[in-house]
Amino acid sequence: MTITRQEFLMRANLDEGTLEAWVAEEWLIPTGTATEPAFSDADVARAALIRDLRHDLDVNDPGIGVILSLIDQVHGLRRTLADVLRDMHERGGRD
Amino acid sequence: MRDPYEILGVEKSASPDDIRKSYRKLAKKFHPDLNPGNKKAEEQFKEASSAYDLLSDPDKRARFDRGEIDATGAERPQQRFYRDFAAEPDHAYTDASGFEDFATENDLFAEILRRQAQARANAPGPDLHYRLPVAFLDAVNGGTMRLNVPDGGTLEVKIPAGIETGQVLRLRGKGAPGRGSGKPGDALVEIEVMPHRFFTRTGDDIHLELPISLSEAVLGGEVPVPTPTGPVMMRVPKNANTGTTLRLKGKGVRRHGGGQGAGHGDELVRLKVMLPPAPDPELEKFAAGWQAGKSYDPRREMQS
Repeated sequence: MTITRQEFLMRANLDEGTLEAWVAEEWLIPTGTATEPAFSDADVARAALIRDLRHDLDVNDPGIGVILSLIDQVHGLRRTLADVLRDMHERGGRD
Repeated sequence: MRDPYEILGVEKSASPDDIRKSYRKLAKKFHPDLNPGNKKAEEQFKEASSAYDLLSDPDKRARFDRGEIDATGAERPQQRFYRDFAAEPDHAYTDASGFEDFATENDLFAEILRRQAQARANAPGPDLHYRLPVAFLDAVNGGTMRLNVPDGGTLEVKIPAGIETGQVLRLRGKGAPGRGSGKPGDALVEIEVMPHRFFTRTGDDIHLELPISLSEAVLGGEVPVPTPTGPVMMRVPKNANTGTTLRLKGKGVRRHGGGQGAGHGDELVRLKVMLPPAPDPELEKFAAGWQAGKSYDPRREMQS
């Protein structure tokens, strides 16, 4: 399910300028074209995370970039670990 | 719900700044996105943010202190956390660079990384959503329409006869392209049927108000009637009146979902007697001397 730019601004409670800045920082990476960007539910949740980091946790802009990158790596690791465990389990099951 | 001061670990007399600091400490510790695998963190984070919502608002805090509201008055709207999406396999922000150094040739780990990269490289494309206005008669009779898509191309959309507003047509493989050998997504086209100048539609039936002349009303006869598939001749009975409704069997919309032989709805023609726009001396003379016309009271039923 894709979300249009207008709907995304509403659901994520963002203004145009903020969205542009976040996309420029690559904190958000919409799919679709430059004139018709498409967003997902994951982008809405990611925008909420960025807002929490800024407002509730008082993280400054460079810090947000660092945190997002580390979080993305943690999720990459978690997925890979899950795949490794599943693979080991399957191999174990064949013996 | 526990006492919000207790949750944030502050005294009743704590300053707004103390409350903020204390909340920030808890949020750092328990924000679900900073604790991707810890289910309990979400509960603790929600508890802390509810407490903070209450105590950070001076008005709410004062009312709580006076006992006017309880701690449940500060529920936050449901928030979906990013970690709930980050586990999806074709996730856009995935970053596997954190452990590339683990992978050496020919070992299990390298193979799994390769498989992941392949799955990502060949991820299917997302579905694209469109809205297509369809002329009333095209919706009734079916047809082919062209849809201009944002990238400059066009999509050919086959409209099945009898389609209604709100129905969604799925065009397989016409969505955004997939990555690598991934399948493209689908185009989902939501139909909006435009109104017609004189036809309206209820279910499978077409409604039409047909003006007839006074002579046609009095004497009856054959009159041409527009239908969605072109004009047909219809017999108007003698002494037809405004409001008389005649049924043209099978001239309505093809019944959908019925398969072969399901047939069509009907066209319901409601007659409307029209006098000529200009006064006519002959007609006036006739009406003045017409006794039956004077004794008939069309408003009889309105009298109490």
